[in-house]
Amino acid sequence: MNEIYLFVVILIPFIGGGLAAALPWKKRTHMLVYLEGLVTLTSVLVWMLLLNRPDGVFTLLNFTGNLTIAFRLDGLGCVFAGLVSFLWPFATLYSFEYMTKEKHEKVFFMFYTITYGVTLGIALSDNFLTMYCFYELLTLVTVPLVMHTLTREAILASRKYLYYSIGGAAFSFIGMIFILVYGNTSEFILGGVLNPEALVGRENIFLLIYVMSFFGFGVKAAICPLNSWLPQAGVAPTPVTALLHAVAVVKSGAFAIMRLTFYCFGTEFLRGTWAQYLLMGVVMFTIVYGCSMALKETHLKRRLAYSTISNLSYILFGVVIMTPLGLTAALSHMLFHAFMKIASFFCAGSIMHQTECHYIYQLDGFGRKMPKVFAVFTISSLALMGVPGLCGFISKWNLASAALESQNVFAYIGVGALLVSALLTAMYMLNIVVRAYYPAADFDYNKIKNVKDPNWMMILPLFVFVAGIVIFGLHSAPVMEILTAVAAGSF
Amino acid sequence: MEQILLLPVVVPILAGIVLLFKKEFQQRKALLVFVGSVLVICGGLAFYGIFAIENGVTLFYLTKTLPIYFKLDMLGKFFASVVTVVWILAGFFSFEYMKHEKNEKRYFAFYLIVFGVLLGLDFSGNLITMYLFYEFMTLTSMPLVLHNQSREAIMAALKYLFFSFAGAYMALFGVYFIYRYGTTLTFQAGGVIEASVLQQNSTLFLVVTMLMLVGFGVKAGMFPLHAWLPSAHPVAPGPASAVLSGIIVKGGVLAVIRVVYQLIGVEFLRGSIVQTIWLVLTLVTVFMGSMLAFREPVLKKRLAYSTVSQLSYILFGLAIMQPQALMGSLLHVAAHAFIKTALFLTASAIIYRTGAVRVEDLRGIGKGMPVTIWCYTIVSLGLIGIPPASGFISKWYLATGALQSGVSVFSWLGPVVLLVSALLTAGYLLPITMQGFFPGEEYDWKRFVGKEPSLLMLVPLLILAALTIVIGILPNTLTNVFETFAGQVM
Amino acid sequence: MEIIKNFPCLSILMCMFAAIISSALNGKWAKWLNAFVLTAVGAMSLAVLYLTVSTGESYIYVMGHFPAPFGNEIRFGSLEAGIAFFFCVIMMLSLNGGRKKLQFEINPSKENLYYIMVDLLLSSLLALVYTNDLFTAYVFVEINTISACGLIMITENGHTIEAAARYMIMSLLGSGLFLIGICLLYDLTGHLLMSNIRVGIDAIVTNGTYKAPLLVTIALIVVGLAIKSALFPFHAWLPNAYGYSTVSSAAILSSLVSKGYIFLLIKIIYRVIGFDTFRDSKIINVLFVFGLAGMIMGSLSAIRENDIRRMISFSSVAQIGYIYMGFGLGTTVGMIASIFHILSHAATKSLLFVSGAGLTDVSGDRKEFIELTGAAYRNICAGLAFTVGSLAMVGIPVFSGFVSKLLFSQAAVQNAHKLLPTLIALAISTILNTIYFMKTVIRIYTPVKSKYTSVSVKENPLYVITLLCFVVLNIVLGMWSQPITDWIAQGLSVFA
Repeated sequence: MNEIYLFVVILIPFIGGGLAAALPWKKRTHMLVYLEGLVTLTSVLVWMLLLNRPDGVFTLLNFTGNLTIAFRLDGLGCVFAGLVSFLWPFATLYSFEYMTKEKHEKVFFMFYTITYGVTLGIALSDNFLTMYCFYELLTLVTVPLVMHTLTREAILASRKYLYYSIGGAAFSFIGMIFILVYGNTSEFILGGVLNPEALVGRENIFLLIYVMSFFGFGVKAAICPLNSWLPQAGVAPTPVTALLHAVAVVKSGAFAIMRLTFYCFGTEFLRGTWAQYLLMGVVMFTIVYGCSMALKETHLKRRLAYSTISNLSYILFGVVIMTPLGLTAALSHMLFHAFMKIASFFCAGSIMHQTECHYIYQLDGFGRKMPKVFAVFTISSLALMGVPGLCGFISKWNLASAALESQNVFAYIGVGALLVSALLTAMYMLNIVVRAYYPAADFDYNKIKNVKDPNWMMILPLFVFVAGIVIFGLHSAPVMEILTAVAAGSF
Repeated sequence: MEQILLLPVVVPILAGIVLLFKKEFQQRKALLVFVGSVLVICGGLAFYGIFAIENGVTLFYLTKTLPIYFKLDMLGKFFASVVTVVWILAGFFSFEYMKHEKNEKRYFAFYLIVFGVLLGLDFSGNLITMYLFYEFMTLTSMPLVLHNQSREAIMAALKYLFFSFAGAYMALFGVYFIYRYGTTLTFQAGGVIEASVLQQNSTLFLVVTMLMLVGFGVKAGMFPLHAWLPSAHPVAPGPASAVLSGIIVKGGVLAVIRVVYQLIGVEFLRGSIVQTIWLVLTLVTVFMGSMLAFREPVLKKRLAYSTVSQLSYILFGLAIMQPQALMGSLLHVAAHAFIKTALFLTASAIIYRTGAVRVEDLRGIGKGMPVTIWCYTIVSLGLIGIPPASGFISKWYLATGALQSGVSVFSWLGPVVLLVSALLTAGYLLPITMQGFFPGEEYDWKRFVGKEPSLLMLVPLLILAALTIVIGILPNTLTNVFETFAGQVM
Repeated sequence: MEIIKNFPCLSILMCMFAAIISSALNGKWAKWLNAFVLTAVGAMSLAVLYLTVSTGESYIYVMGHFPAPFGNEIRFGSLEAGIAFFFCVIMMLSLNGGRKKLQFEINPSKENLYYIMVDLLLSSLLALVYTNDLFTAYVFVEINTISACGLIMITENGHTIEAAARYMIMSLLGSGLFLIGICLLYDLTGHLLMSNIRVGIDAIVTNGTYKAPLLVTIALIVVGLAIKSALFPFHAWLPNAYGYSTVSSAAILSSLVSKGYIFLLIKIIYRVIGFDTFRDSKIINVLFVFGLAGMIMGSLSAIRENDIRRMISFSSVAQIGYIYMGFGLGTTVGMIASIFHILSHAATKSLLFVSGAGLTDVSGDRKEFIELTGAAYRNICAGLAFTVGSLAMVGIPVFSGFVSKLLFSQAAVQNAHKLLPTLIALAISTILNTIYFMKTVIRIYTPVKSKYTSVSVKENPLYVITLLCFVVLNIVLGMWSQPITDWIAQGLSVFA
């Protein structure tokens, strides 16, 4: 397809989202149909792009000097764009039902749809500057979503989110400058673009800058100690927490880090340096820390948010192994975690939508009353734990084999961290499952007799995601082949 | 043809899932007929698979290099046979027993699912398949533990779950390394890692093996991660505790055998620090389990502690890494499976008929339930190791194996501990028989009159008792097989 | 074409005459006259810009009939013309933005005085931009100070009088130092015309004589102008002066007056001292450190502030820190970044002042944050514009601030020693900017049941158009910065 479509898919959600808020809708249904159509159209276009990929670059404008705002679809972008565009229509469908109980729908859907465009923008960026622009934009368009309920809590959360994200971007900005100045080109090229001559004798400065920008992007990927915005941002409506704070936004952070590590600084330069060890240490700590905090948390969504923190660091662990295998593993976890976490978040959302229950101790006996939701929740929990046969196992397996293959003894400890985290995951997830299915013997089911499964708009996405979890778990070979090719630069 | 191997694994699991979701099985009769027929059919299929099918079958690939592969070797056949026999017997026992519990449907559903999973575990032809079923064994047996949903049961079930997963993940750590350095994940006598590789990374592999031993050892109740066992086993419904204690713990044993003898290889481990630590751990567990059992007033808990101790007999035999000891261990697997199931079934029968749970409440019970208590006595003697019951044979092999092994201190320390523990075993099991038949003066004779359970409960008990004796008297078939196996792996 | 060369001189004179005439007019006419002058000057500057850009040369315009080194000269290249044009635009927009509010802020009888001050200010700014004579520059620096004081004081409340007094004192201190610097230069070289001094200084440098006096001279001039442009730590007068004067005054003062001095400093650096000499002196390290400190301290003060106008004022301190930090880098790229930041900051800061006024208007004229809650819903345009301004300040792509940040960092990377402090200070300053600006944005978008009435878009078209122009200006600076940086680079190249 023509390169211009790369820009079109980004533009459609922008304009369409704006229109959704601007047009005077007579009926709610009309708006919903319109939105779903819009999102699906974009997704279809994205998939058409993925299937017959334009080779060229679409340059939107020249920024300054040789800096351009340009789009291109490379392997890594394909993975992220494909993931996002698959999830978005379902998440939108889900949010239709969810938002019936919330106010200011129009504004919500406007930003929700625009975020789609921005996320695609990040995925399709051809160079660092473009990605950085969309990255900042992502923060801005998601803030209204976090703020949506306009409670004091939400305002504080969105404020924190803003400070953290923009602050993080400020540090990754430094990395960008270095790449712009010392790179042979600012385009993303697998293997890095740093000019080797510029490096001589100044390795430490470059590593320092790399670490800084890693942390900068790491804010969105919620690495410790920059993670506290994420659980707080859980005050947003669940479709936001599920899609954005488990997939789009946080994975953008991880995606940016992949770009930074593999496509800008280059792993040849970074592997075996203090920067790698430092970051590996941080990432491992986050893996365990996130899980421990999740275990401590009694608020369902916040627990899931902490779980996200830990799982994002799985991805980053794959990245800091800094081998193609590591990237493959990181990508696979990025993909699979999206499915697992969005499924569990949507379950949490369904529970909140149906019952107003926010805390785990309120969920006694729900398993029998919401069988579908809890079936999904159970499967996603098992997948998160990494039970074989579900997709979580595959990505963990990949991460561990990448770590072992790298011959980096420090990475072995990371494998240990993964497993400790898996155990903690088992604890905090199964605790909920057991409680829901097996309340204490004296539990009175009359207390929750009004609790029931939500309607199809919520259930359908759940089932789709679960199908994904199981299919990827049982038959991951095709996906893994693609991801391996991406990491090798041959896709 | 070899696809038939899948049937005994898949059918019970599917049947269990059907049970969970079909409302029709609320009726007791339909439920029992369904469960009974599934058990029998699958038992038959399993035995057909055990005796008739030699080839392996690959189901699908998790990733390109991770096949889910079933193949029955001698070890698998042996374990699968024990599982099938005990599972069917305990299943029929529970038809009667479950009358006084709620949620029968759910119980039987998970009972069937675990059956399938266990067969899957035994049929596994490579490490990853085994690991898969190992995890599922934990997950699916948990509902059996917390069946009555008392707070105690739920806490115990979570404890069970978390300990098991902790173990499983420790083992998974090893799985990664074996995958990385091994030539294959398929079980092979003598190990899958080349000797040179092992030598190069010896420290790494010692750590890995230790982790895997402790990890899989969790299921087998090995110190230091045994604490879940005495809380989880007794809270389950009677027959469930029986199979948990008799069968599911053997999953851990199977995994340990696979790791030590068929993946890492004894050549590497013999004489290493790992062996020493392992031996210490098992002996500590043997002694500690017996002591705790001796002090325990609640019968089911006492039996659970006994399991801790007896399982470490088996692990001790494995840790010695000597053919005779290995044979002893394998024999003890069978012996302990039958005996411990029988013991728990007795305890459940007593609870079912009289409601008595503490040992001191059982004075005079032999007068009212003679057949039950006789069975109990026979299998107890087996566990203590008095000829001609099976426990004697297995302990004999264990002791001779230990003495011949040449592992410095442990060659004599081991048998001594085993002997002391046997005495303790007698000390905690036999009082029930003695007080049961000879309650002494000042005793209300009418209390247990006519409490003998129905045939549905008695027959499984009798069969198990008979099996205990038979193995004790005619161990040759088994020992021959084990000898070949031991020859292969060492 | 020849006639265009008269325009710089003409525009300065026009402004001065307009000021004189306005004293005889009433407020309304003064306003119109001012608007006319602004438009005319703008147009003329544009013409000059066109001329200089198209020829790529600079021109000297001799005042009177005495040639150099005796006479007074005006010199203009593309940079001067562009800056002059830009100043006119910003001034026009700032005045328009505050026009309606002005009625309430000052005594109507003083309106013509206000415009006199504005006219004078413009003339002095133009003179600072165009002049080629240091003493002329000094004279107009003083005129500038006086008219700025007038603009501050005209609201006639205690705060502003105090602020004006402070401003006056600090400014006079600054101009005093500046004057001594000029005297010393005259002493050293015997000239007052920039080009001639330059020749003299070059000779001194090559001979290696008078090292200490030269250093002192540079220090005096730089510090004098730094004080006047409110470089940290000489900023004490600024928050009150900007915070309590009229909206237009605040916008003009923050975006133009201080920038006029900075531009003069740039001119002196390039045309009098010589960039290389300047770079080799230790002064740039001092400027660098003060610049960094200003970036951080200004923002920290802004975070603590509870008054939106004062907050924006403190933000100016930080932004001026950026500019001086750019000087301190000692590279041409850094200089280009600084000049670009002069533009981008001028466009943004006046936008913030004007839109901030719109927000306070719908909050009962209270400037405390608590009162501003939900103000963006009551005045939608002001809210949006304020958001744009804040984003530009934070340095979000698309808006002008991002480009200056980009240019600064690119410049910093070329200076191996100052690289890390600059980049880290930039990042920290971005975070601090985020904290106070985004806090405000979220605050104004937090809906409350308010006792204040809202205004619709239609009620004040001039205001809305002004805001729109500012926003467009910001985006243009942010998106199509390449021609602008090219122009700056070209302008600088003909400077020396």
